[in-house]
Amino acid sequence: MKRQFKQTIWVFVTLISHYRRHPGQALTMALGLISGVALWAAVQLINDHARSSYAEADQLLGAEARYWIRSDNGLGVAVADYIGLRRAGFEQLYPVIETQVRDAQGRSVAIIATDLLALPVGNGIGSSARYSNPFGASSWLALIQADYQAWYPQSLASQLGIEPGQQLVLASGERLPPALIQTQTQQGQRVFMDIAAAMAILGTDTFSYLGVGRLSKLEHLRLAALLPATLKLVTNHQALDLAQVTESLHTHLTALGLLSFAVGLFIVFNAVRFSLLARQGTLTTLREMGISLGMLSIAIIAESLLWTLFGTSLGLVMGYALSQLLLPAMAMSLQSLYAAELGSLIGIQPEQVLLAFGLSLTGVVLALTLPLWLRARESIRRQRDTAAQWQQDQRGIRWLALVAMGLLGLAAVLYPWMASIEQGFLMLALLMFGGALLLPWLVLGLIKTCARLLPKHQWLLRWAVSDALAQLPHLRIALMALLLTLTANIGVTTLVGSFRTALGDWLETRLAADIYVQSESLDIEAIKQAAWLSGYSPRIGLDLRWQNRPTSIRGLDLTAPDTVDMVLVQDHGVLDHGGQNQQAQDQALQAWRAGDSPVIPILANEQVQYLAHTPLGSIIELPTPAGPRRFKIVGYVHDYGNSSLAFYLPGETVMAHWPAAELLGAGLWLSEPAAQIDPDWLSSRLSALGVKPGQWVLQGEIKRISFAIFDRTFAITATLNTLTLLVAGLSLLTALLAVHQQRLPEYAHWRSMGVNFSQWLQIAALPLLLMLAVTLLLALPLGFSLSWLLINKLNVIAFGWTMPLLWSWWPLAKLGILTLGIVLTTLTVSVVRVRQTLPTAIKQLAGDSG
Amino acid sequence: MLTFSAISKTYYQPDGDIQVLRQADLHLPAGQTAALLGESGCGKSTLLHLAAGLDQPDSGQIMIHDQCASDFSDRQWNHLRRETLSLVFQQYHLVPTLSVLDNLLLQARLANRLNPGLQQHLIDRLGLAPLLGRLPHQLSGGQQQRVAIGRVLMHQPRLILADEPTGNLDEATSHSVMELFTTLVKETGSSLLMVTHSQVMANYLDHQWLLQAGQITPVLARDT
Repeated sequence: MKRQFKQTIWVFVTLISHYRRHPGQALTMALGLISGVALWAAVQLINDHARSSYAEADQLLGAEARYWIRSDNGLGVAVADYIGLRRAGFEQLYPVIETQVRDAQGRSVAIIATDLLALPVGNGIGSSARYSNPFGASSWLALIQADYQAWYPQSLASQLGIEPGQQLVLASGERLPPALIQTQTQQGQRVFMDIAAAMAILGTDTFSYLGVGRLSKLEHLRLAALLPATLKLVTNHQALDLAQVTESLHTHLTALGLLSFAVGLFIVFNAVRFSLLARQGTLTTLREMGISLGMLSIAIIAESLLWTLFGTSLGLVMGYALSQLLLPAMAMSLQSLYAAELGSLIGIQPEQVLLAFGLSLTGVVLALTLPLWLRARESIRRQRDTAAQWQQDQRGIRWLALVAMGLLGLAAVLYPWMASIEQGFLMLALLMFGGALLLPWLVLGLIKTCARLLPKHQWLLRWAVSDALAQLPHLRIALMALLLTLTANIGVTTLVGSFRTALGDWLETRLAADIYVQSESLDIEAIKQAAWLSGYSPRIGLDLRWQNRPTSIRGLDLTAPDTVDMVLVQDHGVLDHGGQNQQAQDQALQAWRAGDSPVIPILANEQVQYLAHTPLGSIIELPTPAGPRRFKIVGYVHDYGNSSLAFYLPGETVMAHWPAAELLGAGLWLSEPAAQIDPDWLSSRLSALGVKPGQWVLQGEIKRISFAIFDRTFAITATLNTLTLLVAGLSLLTALLAVHQQRLPEYAHWRSMGVNFSQWLQIAALPLLLMLAVTLLLALPLGFSLSWLLINKLNVIAFGWTMPLLWSWWPLAKLGILTLGIVLTTLTVSVVRVRQTLPTAIKQLAGDSG
Repeated sequence: MLTFSAISKTYYQPDGDIQVLRQADLHLPAGQTAALLGESGCGKSTLLHLAAGLDQPDSGQIMIHDQCASDFSDRQWNHLRRETLSLVFQQYHLVPTLSVLDNLLLQARLANRLNPGLQQHLIDRLGLAPLLGRLPHQLSGGQQQRVAIGRVLMHQPRLILADEPTGNLDEATSHSVMELFTTLVKETGSSLLMVTHSQVMANYLDHQWLLQAGQITPVLARDT
């Protein structure tokens, strides 16, 4: 036993010694593992962090908020009402001011403020418990005492250019308290300060709302009874809703992370293959010396464990750093899209570390299993026969093609049953990996066809083409990784391009007014009489829950230009139901405007159709104060970016059914073109109508903000795509270096026959370019299929909105140029390396025969 | 055809320098064949490398086809190898992805020196006609070496440098290959310098030289 252990150690040491002479291969292994784990871990850390933030969304700054107390009229909660309730024994109540302001440079800044002394923390029921404050005693005293403090998360401070101690100047001229770079739980990308300071600076004497901790049934009833008529107690569904609406986004990200990990694994597989290939002689010699395959396998597994430990540890560190880099953009997107607040600091949990180790160990073991299995099946004599291995490789390629056909066939069979986002991603995986496994067979077929068709006198060309047969076994895995990343890139680029165009077109029709006002205290009469305004369209509505999802009811002004020109969703010929031709659409809109059917016609956003699975013509029931009312869905409208369900009715109908519906805002049409209006003049005019700065926004600004949110949301996708493409490029480089290193004696011999550099370059480069061409050509239909699935299936299942699929050649051309650039760079590096090492190889040409 | 004048070559190594050639002289006339004999590690292959420009001497002069090659640049050596020289190795060095015919014609194509008459003659003499469409790994060792020899002769070089060309073959095959090789070399009029440790194989050639202690000593010269 002891002897066997010693033998295994010696075998292990012999195998490991390989890397001393070939540090480049060690670097490849490390890079493959580190980059794969890092990209996956970054996405995983962000996703887990976001999910844990949602789980804490029923808390505010560490305190529970099971309920909110909000005003009915939108005027906020008066201080006197708050004090009254506290005096009545409800100590789990705390005041919150949550608002958006503009700084002196016009940038929007979110502020959240509360009374730290009133903040309940912990898990107590009822009013008896007083809890320890979450903020350390040493730090919070400065926050609540004059001159106060404003706490900024690091990313927000960097974004605003705020240094510790500095005071942010607001558009109103007021200054926020001195800055402290410090983050609290659920603070998100908001400035946190004491409520007294906030009230003084913002010039308000009301709170935005009151947060309420846990209430017993009795307390709930008592509190509801005690509330003044203008205040209402509402349940906080935020945690549940956030988890629900953001799930699709996180599933998308997880898929991208796993793709990056798969590409990393391809690189590891490549590196393992090369390291085994380079040590083939050593492995065979060890076998010839009587070392069993079992002992050899143990030594190789020990080596892979070491690699896993090293690669995963460094990968996690890199992934953590990458997640910190990507988090601010992600947090801002989640805040903009879903009002979800993410903390600024990501923590690594032990289970994440274990999962990373488990995944990369599985990957490394898988990467080792196939070569080991193939080796186990070979006789020792055969292991010295390179020609036989070359033939075996071609047989392997044919097997891969069969597996590929199986995967693609399975995808075709499963397609009609695709209904959930998980099934959608399974479909994408089958498609992408089927394509990747098919690639070597296609390349092989092309090489053989070219070799057959090329005229005999084109001997150099024929040589170059036939040399592809020698290069393919070494390059095929790198090419498969490249194909995967190119397919993902084409798919996602087309999705993003189509989405951006659809969003632009939709905003163009939806945003008809020059100014949008979000104020609950508009002076309607003054607006109607303002000569500088040519039109006015109020928006009324309310939020409720339907099918246990957040749902909004919106009342539209039938005379407003955007309502007159309202366009219903056209059938893209993709989905089985919901199609509406022009005539049917006109009839539907007419019926909706008239509203005189036995069942009231209602319009809904597409999310109702696809997320709530409610087809056109459905009769639905909505809760009203007078009990459930029935409505018939007569049409759908696009509502990009909205995570909630929404129903649209004429304003009068809404008021008739929901008398408590509030004025949410209005669209205003200017008498003169907006571009000719002085902003200061406009601001003063709007103030006269009861609209404060920060409560109105120009149409162009909404478009700019919308596109900024859009671009930021997809920036993380683009970053991951680019990084994965670079990793695939790196994989190709290492494969090329390994090929040329291994074939140097061959090249030296060619040189000794008089093959000059340009001829060698043709023979070395042409096969690569040929293989790249096949890869790019296969990536196009695969990428298009991917984008088709993403837009017409996954997008609809995940977000509930449809859009036309638009092909654009320029992003594809850019991707092609980038890929060609990466390939040419890798080729140049490998060629330079050959030029450097060829003289030595030539000297070693005749071996050491004496 | 090939002349070495006072050639010296030392390998500098951490555990002591190895001087493999000391003022060595050699002259191989055009159209003649010679074997360089010597023990393993005595510097035979080094001498061959110097003759092919694969390595540089420390001192001395190398003349090939009346050209002083000692100061040749890499480009000039490359040109010389393409036009004038051919190398034959123990390991054959056939291009595995090319057919036997393409391998046979390869070096002649590189030098733009295809000769259909010679091509047919060599294919017949080497008995390769039934094998032309095969790939190298489908041939035996003897067949592969015959292809390697055919490739060299098809090129019609003035000087052939061979390093243990029969080292990988069994005795019977070695004799048949060597007989064919030397006969064809004579037919094409090339000069041949062959490194070998086998006295039996050396007997096929016109001259035999012994490399010992860095010096070359003639041991046999036949009238040709």
